[in-house]
Amino acid sequence: MAEPVLEVHDLHVTFSTENGPVPAVDGIDFAVAPGQTLAIVGESGSGKSVSSSAVMGLLPSNADVTGEVLLDGRQLAGLPNDELRKIRGNDIAMVFQDALSALNPYYSVGWQVAEAYRLHHDVPKKVARRRAVEMLDKVGIPDAARRADSYPHEFSGGMRQRVVIAMALVNDPRVLIADEPTTALDVTVQAQIMRLLDDVQDEFGTALILISHDLGVVAEVADDVLVMYAGRAAERGTVRDLFFRAAHPYSLGLLGAMPRVDVPPKPRLTTIPGTPPGPGSITTGCPFQPRCAYTHLVGERCITERPELTPRPGEGDHEAACHLGRRPEVIL
Amino acid sequence: MPDLVWFLIRRLFGALLVMLALSLAVYLIFYAIPADPAHLACGKPCTPDRLEQARHFMQLDQSTLQQYLNFLKGIVAGRTFGDGTAAVHCNAPCFGYSFPLARPVTTLITDRLPITASIALGAAVLWLLFGVSLGVIAALNRGRILDRLAVGVALAGVSTPSFLLGLLAILVFGFWLNMVPVNGYVPLTESPVDWAWHLVTPWIVLAILQAASYIRLTRSQMLEELNLDYITTARAKGAGEARVVLTHGLRGVLVPVITLFGLDLGGLLGGAILTEKVFSMQGLGDLLISAVGQLDVAVVVGVTLFSAFLIILANLVVDIVHGVLDPRVSHG
Amino acid sequence: MSDELLALKDVKKYFGLRGVPWQKAQAVRAVDGVNLVVRKGETLGLVGESGSGKSTLARVATRLLDPTQGRVEIGGKDVTKVKGRRLRPIRRRIQMVFQDPQASLNPRQSVATILSTPFRAQGLRPTRAQLVELLEQVGLAEEHLVRYPHEFSGGQRQRIGIARALSVKPDLLVCDEPVSALDVSVQAQVLNLLADLRDELGLSYVLVAHDLAVVRQVADRIAVMYLGTIVEEGPAAQVYESPAHPYTKALLSAVPVPEPGVSRDRIVLTGDVPTPVNPPSGCPFRTRCYKAEDVCATKRPVLEPVEGSTEHRAACYFPELPTSERTQ
Repeated sequence: MAEPVLEVHDLHVTFSTENGPVPAVDGIDFAVAPGQTLAIVGESGSGKSVSSSAVMGLLPSNADVTGEVLLDGRQLAGLPNDELRKIRGNDIAMVFQDALSALNPYYSVGWQVAEAYRLHHDVPKKVARRRAVEMLDKVGIPDAARRADSYPHEFSGGMRQRVVIAMALVNDPRVLIADEPTTALDVTVQAQIMRLLDDVQDEFGTALILISHDLGVVAEVADDVLVMYAGRAAERGTVRDLFFRAAHPYSLGLLGAMPRVDVPPKPRLTTIPGTPPGPGSITTGCPFQPRCAYTHLVGERCITERPELTPRPGEGDHEAACHLGRRPEVIL
Repeated sequence: MPDLVWFLIRRLFGALLVMLALSLAVYLIFYAIPADPAHLACGKPCTPDRLEQARHFMQLDQSTLQQYLNFLKGIVAGRTFGDGTAAVHCNAPCFGYSFPLARPVTTLITDRLPITASIALGAAVLWLLFGVSLGVIAALNRGRILDRLAVGVALAGVSTPSFLLGLLAILVFGFWLNMVPVNGYVPLTESPVDWAWHLVTPWIVLAILQAASYIRLTRSQMLEELNLDYITTARAKGAGEARVVLTHGLRGVLVPVITLFGLDLGGLLGGAILTEKVFSMQGLGDLLISAVGQLDVAVVVGVTLFSAFLIILANLVVDIVHGVLDPRVSHG
Repeated sequence: MSDELLALKDVKKYFGLRGVPWQKAQAVRAVDGVNLVVRKGETLGLVGESGSGKSTLARVATRLLDPTQGRVEIGGKDVTKVKGRRLRPIRRRIQMVFQDPQASLNPRQSVATILSTPFRAQGLRPTRAQLVELLEQVGLAEEHLVRYPHEFSGGQRQRIGIARALSVKPDLLVCDEPVSALDVSVQAQVLNLLADLRDELGLSYVLVAHDLAVVRQVADRIAVMYLGTIVEEGPAAQVYESPAHPYTKALLSAVPVPEPGVSRDRIVLTGDVPTPVNPPSGCPFRTRCYKAEDVCATKRPVLEPVEGSTEHRAACYFPELPTSERTQ
């Protein structure tokens, strides 16, 4: 793998609330190289979105973040807000799930894209606007010079997401974090947006962190995958490691639970019993143990000892955090 | 835009109907009261003969409906009371004639309006600035001492009766400290400095009372606004906190604030009754109160209709300003 | 026909839309002429993208909305004009399960109260044993009766929603996006539950969903909606294996498959769904269609049998030819 542009080591995020500290992310590592796509997969409460907000320094003030966030080797965690501000939207930019709420309804889209440019470039408004129109055109907004004066509500969902992407890319960021960028979109529009992100990556060599619960999208675009469960890494590896050599019972369960559109249906979907744990439910052992179908093969250790990521057979650095040393057989 | 013109025409027509209904209601209410304006006009001692004469002169001997129709006709064509040398003319548009004050109602209103408008407009500017900035400060310091202080001021403002605050201000600043004049009004055209000097106490008193609701509204709207996704977007773009709040947050806050402001100002222009009384200013409120005391139906109807017109007008202006502030409204 | 549970005959539903006070109201053609039959024991998947009118159609079918035009027949009986109290026996045969279990359950009512409500609407008083049986049917237990909705997870709340719908022993459940608000692992549980209930109770379903993979998992028959009309319908296997309508073909090709390296001949449609206020003339899909020709703009195509099948129908002048094998 090429030199990573963004590296995260031992990231912890804890929210202090009225009911005491609530850990949301409990020690995760990941890295992404230019032109590569890392997918962070998980269900609600897994900490996948909190991790990305922590990288951007966008968490509310009651969040305590520790660990290393390195951009080209430069530590970001703990930087004063004023320094971070220069990096946000410039070196690391973000695309959100719901473009309608992510755009300010009171300003034209051209203004909003131009603002993103002017926040990091000392240029006259006219220059910024020209740059905005150019960007809107690049992401496929037809008649961009005219449409730049339109307001977000005058666009369709797909076009709005293109605007958000234009806004994120206007400063040629090194890293793009996309948090469920297509979840709110129809599937035909989703295909358009995924293709656009792919083109952008090819053209600019942007590193992409894709946060998603949709394994179909992940299989299609990711190079590497990190599976999160209850604020921890359950498994990580290349996309083929995960889909063909899944080593964690949770990853396996997720794969079995996904219905597929391209093959005749199985009589029953594999299910994981129970529900994902809420944030802050700490266990001394494996967080997945209460829902795990393999725990009887290991025994007490799953309850008493927290499994660490250990190497598994695969293409690259395939690792899983499970006491069951071998690959679990599929249980239906 | 022709749509807008039609909208205005429809709304003004609607306003006309409302005012017609209102004027009829005011007439009927006053004629239901068992008191006789002619009796007051006739003076003492009042013989039945003179009473009858006064009644005829004031056109009170006609049926209520006829009187009402005369009133409507007067608006278009003007009216004449009595005949010969004793005749009193009231030129179109005639909104009635005040016999106790011996002046047409239209003249009375135009004479008194500058006083009320001076009080209302000056106070409005103050309370808008004061209320919105305190509300923003409170929201940004949520839960901290500045927030509590601002909310405390708001609570005190809401719960203090205006006459109490007014009298207190006169007592402290007028009599004890001898800083400002305690009553009276100097027209703006005569001496702008004296004008402002006489008005500064009522402005502040009125502003403190009104600002309360603006502090609360701004604070709660701003808190809501700061939780919206597009505020996160602004931060993710690299906008500084001041820009996030003032450029992205405040715009959404202003929409409801301006709505409230328009209605408050519209209501106040129809007469700040208590404030005018306390500071002995002969504005519209003072005119209305005296008229009620003297059963001066013509003035009561005239001022009531004028206030109603101002409120309807304020509503209309608010709707249009709303469209200007929020592109989602005006662009459909 | 006696096995026809639900029949919609040329159903239209228009909504009035007024944006700004100074603009005229416009008609939104949410459902624009739909014929559809649901037979006993079958699961009909109603798929389409946002704005296709699928949810509106579901609400018209359950008589939650009045159709602007057309007929709704339940058990062979025209119920289009039935109102108020006389709707109750109809409600007993058709029940609805909603997308957001959080919003469709009253937070101030215990599960026991929620489950008894449909009984009481029918003038019945349920026994505790009946309520427990309902809960057990959906994989919950007696102890849950006294709890309130906020004490449950999303998946459990959806189970309660299903139990409530089952309480009056309906023949047909209309499920509007029943799993789209749920996590993947929980979604699978609910889909399996729906399949189990069908087998145990002989239920029929109308499953309204935008997720084509979810629909494939449970539906026997598929109807694809676009801009308020059905553009294709037929047995699930046939529609998924060899879609006849270009829209269906594009839609299916756009769904990502959870297997890296599977190359799919993706048809990426350009543009967005046109507004239902002013739909295109002729075929509603022609503005985005890769096969559109002049004739498509003239007259709206009607559903016609696809070559080699009687059940599989498409509304297209240039349907795709059936393939004997699955295209990879």
